[in-house]
Amino acid sequence: MAMVGTQAPFVRAVRYGVLAAFSVFCLFPFLWMVDTAFKPMDEVLSSAPSFIIRHPTLFNFETVLLHSPFLIYLRNSCIVSGFSTVLTMISSTFCAYVLSRWSRQRPVRVLSGALLASQMIPGVLLLVPLYMTMRDLGLLSTYFSLIIVYCTFMVPLTVFMLRSFFDGVPLELEEAAELDGCSRSAFLVRVLLPLSVPGLLATGLFGFVTAWNEFMFGYVLINDDAHRTLTPGIMLFRGAHETDWGSLMAASVLTILPVGISFLYLQRFLSLGLTVGAVKG
Amino acid sequence: MDTVQSIARGRSAAHRVSRVTTVVSHRRRQMPLIAWFFLSPVALLLLALIAYPLLDVAWESFHYVNLTNPTATGFSGFDNFETVFQDDDLLPAIWNTVLWTGLSVAGEYVLGLSAAVALAGPIRGGAFFRAFIIIPWLIPIVVAGLDWSWILAPDYGVLNLWLVHLGVLSHPVDWLGQMNTALLTVTLANVWRTFPFYTISFLAALQAVPPELHEAAALDGAPAWRRFWHISMPHLRPVTLTLVTLHVIWTAVNFDFIWVMTAGGPLNASTTLPILIYRYAMRNFDVGAACALAGMMMSAMATMFFLYRYGTMGLMRPRGRRLKTGEA
Repeated sequence: MAMVGTQAPFVRAVRYGVLAAFSVFCLFPFLWMVDTAFKPMDEVLSSAPSFIIRHPTLFNFETVLLHSPFLIYLRNSCIVSGFSTVLTMISSTFCAYVLSRWSRQRPVRVLSGALLASQMIPGVLLLVPLYMTMRDLGLLSTYFSLIIVYCTFMVPLTVFMLRSFFDGVPLELEEAAELDGCSRSAFLVRVLLPLSVPGLLATGLFGFVTAWNEFMFGYVLINDDAHRTLTPGIMLFRGAHETDWGSLMAASVLTILPVGISFLYLQRFLSLGLTVGAVKG
Repeated sequence: MDTVQSIARGRSAAHRVSRVTTVVSHRRRQMPLIAWFFLSPVALLLLALIAYPLLDVAWESFHYVNLTNPTATGFSGFDNFETVFQDDDLLPAIWNTVLWTGLSVAGEYVLGLSAAVALAGPIRGGAFFRAFIIIPWLIPIVVAGLDWSWILAPDYGVLNLWLVHLGVLSHPVDWLGQMNTALLTVTLANVWRTFPFYTISFLAALQAVPPELHEAAALDGAPAWRRFWHISMPHLRPVTLTLVTLHVIWTAVNFDFIWVMTAGGPLNASTTLPILIYRYAMRNFDVGAACALAGMMMSAMATMFFLYRYGTMGLMRPRGRRLKTGEA
């Protein structure tokens, strides 16, 4: 280690330079968004923009929260993401348990292959038939349509993630429970789930964030303001003629707030999330 | 003879089973009825939300389906495909999709790898740099798209004003509103948001390289770039192939980024195939044509995927260990 550890000062300097450049590249757009959100109108529309805000204001947040449908969109996003997470978690837990315990059985292998394949099938190709189906069922512009459709990308992700958590629970526990006369469903509820609480929470949050960030289905399947979710909603804030960038950035900051908070917890599970394809590109 | 062997085999097998059975019983045993029951919700969801729509795409691409004209029904033969092929926007859209996907994935790969290499190994403040670099990936595509639209805005966008101030540009450029820059600009924003995914994956792979390999090579006098090329790079091959394949698929079919930033415009300068599918269905109301194009795109991608799977089987194994230090 000593050999590799001692780096030439030149190499070290290059590394710091590269990392500093990357930090600026990554942070600047994010910080500029936050910065703009706190600027009054005349500083947003300034011909000599700077990071320094002379008169910081909450005016943009006030506009967004009080004089726009933002809160309605927020409520809708909470409803849709929340219910689709619950629905996904319930169906995925049972499935992941079977996938973890009978992994060599043919039906299990077929199903996990199908789940893997479904992760590869892009949403835009399912968009038209799903839209037609929802139209035929009269479900356009309802929460239910989005909640159901979000399962297409959430279920594979949560199943694979939960399976890897369940794989970590030793089989001996299940055998001991069985010897004591515990049924499988009782084992699931009384032993496996309590043991997997951190994993369940991480999986649920990953699913929730994925649903929260989704744009295309929300944009196409919902056509009225009363049911519109946040991501299509804030895109529509962008006016047809003049855009109020200050409010738009304030809305953006509010939108990513729950995501940021979730990742404070999720960072421990980041590498697992990556391997199961938690957040698609 | 036979019986003796079979008895011996039986006995040793029984002996083995008695020891192992408690451990593997669950995996060997036939699935109980309740397991089938547990699988059914997910299986039903997959059938209803993936399998059925896929069959529907195939079916509707051979039928007249129009959202505004309910009298257009019935078998259409190859009419929908003809509509697609006679569309003058098809070839530019294919070219844009290739350009958008190729440049995005290449940019993400280069930036992702550079950042991972700079982060790998002990460095003061590494945790901070890593946290900074992950930030773009946490931002939803819509927000990232709007954020970049604001930075690049032609009137009060900070990039234009600063570049003009520094004398790099003589006048502000409408990056998203010009035919020749629109797609490249969206590509830049996409690379910005996606490359951290590569960095995290590459970093994990780099940290998994046994340090002895580097030490031995360093002892033999191999310079850093040579150790990187002959030790680190071969270890990155499996993760690279996975990342690139996944992102080629995800980028080619991405609707959100382009739609949010340019909506395929100006004119058709940034129209890719997903935008075209959307436009057929939601603007022209021609569901048949949309399904024909979606079906063709899906077939093309499935073909590429299987070519990749069978073409790169041999490349998936890391080959770093075999090279060791001999060449250096």
